[in-house]
Amino acid sequence: MPPSRESISNRGDDDEVCPVCKSSRYLNPDMRFLINPECYHKMCESCVDRIFSGGPANCPVAGCHKTLRKARFRKQTFEDIGVEREVDIRRRVMQVLNRREEEFDSKRAYDDFLEQREEIIANLVHGTDVAKTEGDLQRYASENMRSIRANQALEAREASSFQEQQTHEQELARLRRQAAREEYENERREILAGREDVLSRLAAGKPADAATIAREGHKVLLKKSSARRSEEERIRQKQAALRNSDSRKAGATAVDRTTESRDSGFIKGLKRIKTPEPEKPYDPFGGLVPNKRDYYTLRDSYPSSYLDPIRQDTRMQAGGYNLQEYYSRTLMEAFAGLGCFVDEEVARRDGAISKPNATEV
Amino acid sequence: MIEDDFYRASSQFRLWSFTEASLHSLRSETNATASDRVRAALRRAREARQSTASSAAGTPSAEDTTTAGGDQQPHNIECLTAEEEQQLIRYYCEQIIELGERYKPPLPTIVRATAIQYFRRFYLTNSPMAYHPKTIMPCALFLATKTDNYYLSLRQFAETFPGDATADDIIAPEFLVMQSLRFTFDVRHPFRGLEGGVMELQAIAQGIAHPAPHAPQQTPDDLRRDLLALPSPPPPAVQSSSITDRLARAHHNTRETLKAAAQITDAYFLYTPAQIWLAAFLIADRPMAEFYLSSKLGMPGQEEEEQGGGGAGNPLYELRTKMFATVNKCADLLQSYTPLASDPEQKKNLRAIGKKLYHCQNPEKANISGQKRIPAAAAAAAAAVSSGGDPGTSESEIERLAKKRKLEGSKKDLFGGDLVMQRTKENQADEQ
Repeated sequence: MPPSRESISNRGDDDEVCPVCKSSRYLNPDMRFLINPECYHKMCESCVDRIFSGGPANCPVAGCHKTLRKARFRKQTFEDIGVEREVDIRRRVMQVLNRREEEFDSKRAYDDFLEQREEIIANLVHGTDVAKTEGDLQRYASENMRSIRANQALEAREASSFQEQQTHEQELARLRRQAAREEYENERREILAGREDVLSRLAAGKPADAATIAREGHKVLLKKSSARRSEEERIRQKQAALRNSDSRKAGATAVDRTTESRDSGFIKGLKRIKTPEPEKPYDPFGGLVPNKRDYYTLRDSYPSSYLDPIRQDTRMQAGGYNLQEYYSRTLMEAFAGLGCFVDEEVARRDGAISKPNATEV
Repeated sequence: MIEDDFYRASSQFRLWSFTEASLHSLRSETNATASDRVRAALRRAREARQSTASSAAGTPSAEDTTTAGGDQQPHNIECLTAEEEQQLIRYYCEQIIELGERYKPPLPTIVRATAIQYFRRFYLTNSPMAYHPKTIMPCALFLATKTDNYYLSLRQFAETFPGDATADDIIAPEFLVMQSLRFTFDVRHPFRGLEGGVMELQAIAQGIAHPAPHAPQQTPDDLRRDLLALPSPPPPAVQSSSITDRLARAHHNTRETLKAAAQITDAYFLYTPAQIWLAAFLIADRPMAEFYLSSKLGMPGQEEEEQGGGGAGNPLYELRTKMFATVNKCADLLQSYTPLASDPEQKKNLRAIGKKLYHCQNPEKANISGQKRIPAAAAAAAAAVSSGGDPGTSESEIERLAKKRKLEGSKKDLFGGDLVMQRTKENQADEQ
C-alpha cells in the first residue's frame, strides 16, 4: 500500500510535538495537527477536542490571547505556516475584490486594479497598515455587495461550465478512442475475411483465373478502406465543429451580467454602466389632461330659458340625454380653432408640401 | 391652445381652408382649365356636325371646310370669367337659402348652411361651365339633409322642389358631388359655437361664470361688473337697460349674419368657425365681443402693465393681438356682403351671365344623369363623340349599349343552364 499524502508530509517530523499537550508523534503515530486561521497556532486534534468542545476559548499557546472556535479549525494544507496564511488572506481578498477585466475601461485600468489588489494582500500579509487596509476592504465590500455577489455567481457558473466542458471533452476522447479501436478491429477482420475469400475462390476456380482473382480481391480491399477513410474524416470534422460551438457557447455565457454602476473611488477606471431609465407609467392621453381646456372652464349648468325646462323634463332625461354634453360641445365649438390663423398656417402647410391640385372638371 | 388642436384635426381645416391667394389661384385655375375644355369640346362638336353634314352632302373634300371652321369658331366662344362664375355661385347659394323656406317645415338653417358649403366646395374644383349649378344645387341640398341627419325621402324632397326636376335628376350628380367633396362631409359651422358663447355670457351676466384658465385672477363678480359697465353698442336705437335683452338682441343679429353673410362669402374657407361667429358677434355688439375675447386672454389694461415690465414677448398678448386682427378682418368680410335681391344692378348682371353660360356650357358634360346610369356606356359614347361621331349616333350608341346589357342580363346561363332541365333531358336519354 502506498503511503498516504498525509504521512508523506509528516514523514520528516516524527518527533513533532504538540505545543499544548506535549505529546509527540513518536508515541502517537495517528496524531493529526490542526490550525485555526485566527492565529495559525498548531495543536493536535485531541487538544482541540478537549479545549474547544465546550465553546469558544482562548488559544492555549502562551502569549496568544485570541479567542478560537472549534468550527474554524482545519487541517494544514501547506507545510509552511506563512504560505498557509498568505493563501488564506489572498482567498479572502480575492473574494471581495473580484472585479473582472470586462468591467474596466482599458487594459491599463485592469492592470492597475490587479496591482492594487496585490498591494492590499501584501499589506495584510506583512502587517503594514492593517487597520486602514481592512477598513477599506470592509467599506468596499459593504458598498459593492451586489456586484461582488454577481461576480461570484458568475465565477461559480464559469467554473461549473468549465468542469462540464472538461468532462465532456474527456467523454468525447474516450468515444473517439473506442471508435478507432473498433475500426481497427473491423479492418483487420475484413482483411482476414477477404484473404479467406480469395483463398477459397482460388481453391474453387481454375488455375488460369488465379491472377485476376487475386487482383480483384486486392482492389475490393482498397476500395473499402478508402471509403472508410472518407467516412472517418467526415465524423472527425463534425466533432471538431461540435467542440468549437461548445467553447463558443461557454464564452458567450461569461459576458452578460448585471453590475451596479457605483464607482466607489476605491477602484479606479471602472466602466460606467448606464442603467436604463425606469419606464414611466403609460399615459394614454400623451400629456393631455382629459378635461383641460384653454379658453373656458366648464360649469355644471348654464342659465338658459331655453334649456332649463329640459333639466326637469323626464321625457328628455329618461333616454340618457345629458345637458352636460351639450354644454361641453357648444363651448368646445365656440373656441375650437379660435387661435388657428388659416392664412398663416395654410400658407406654411402649402409651402411644406406642394399641394396636389385635384382639378376635376 | 388645446381647442385649436382639435380644430386642426378636422377635414375642414386640412382640406378646405385656404389663404386668400391660394383660393384665388385655385379658382382661376379651375376656370382656365374649364374654359379650355369647353372650347375644345365645342370645336369637336362643331367639327363632328360639319363632317357629318358634309358626308351627308357627299362632298369628299370636307376636311378643308372643317379645319377652316374649326380654326375660326373657338374664338367666338366667350367663356365665363372666374368672377362671373363667383357671382353665379352666389346667386345659387341664395337660392338654396330661399329654397329651404319652401319646405314644410322649413329646412333647418344648419342643413341649408351645409348644403351651401358643399356647393361652394364643389365649385372650387369644378366650373359652372362644366356642371350647371342648376343641377348641382338640389343635389347638394339633398346630400346635406342626409349628412345633417334631417331625414327626407327623395320623393318627398323632389315633390317640394320647384321646377320639373324628377327624383332621378336630383340624385344623378350625387356621386360626382361627393367625389368633388373628397368624401369629407364634415362641415364645422359657427352656429353651435355662438350658442356656447352666448350661454357663457349669460352666466357672466348672472355672476356665476368660471374665470378662463388663462385669467385665473378674475372672479365671477369682477366679470359681471365689467360686463355691466360696457358701453352700449354704436347704434343706440333701443336703449335697453337689461343686459339680458342686449344679449338676446346681439344673439339674434349674430345669427342672422351667420345665416347669410357667413355662408355666401368666403368666410368658411378663410377663417375658422370660432373666428366667424366672433366676427359676426363683433358686428352685432362690438363692445361685448371685445370684452368677451379679452376675458379669455387677459384684459388689455393688465397686458399693457406687463408690457411695461418687459412683457412684450408675452405669447398670450401676441395671440390676442393677432386674434383681434383676424376677427376684425373676418368681420369686414362679413360686412362687405350685400344680398343680391337688394341690388338691381347685380341682378341685371346675373341675367347676362346666365345667357353667356347658356352658350359656353360644355356639351360633353350635359347629360349627368346618363353618366350616372351607365357610366361606361356614357364614356364610350363620349369617346365616340370626340372621335368624330355626331350627337345623334352617340345617342343611338347609348341605346344600343343599354340593349346589349339588357340582353346580357336576361341571358342567365352564364354558369350552365337549368339543372332540372338537364336532368329531364338525361332521363329522356335513359328512357330511349
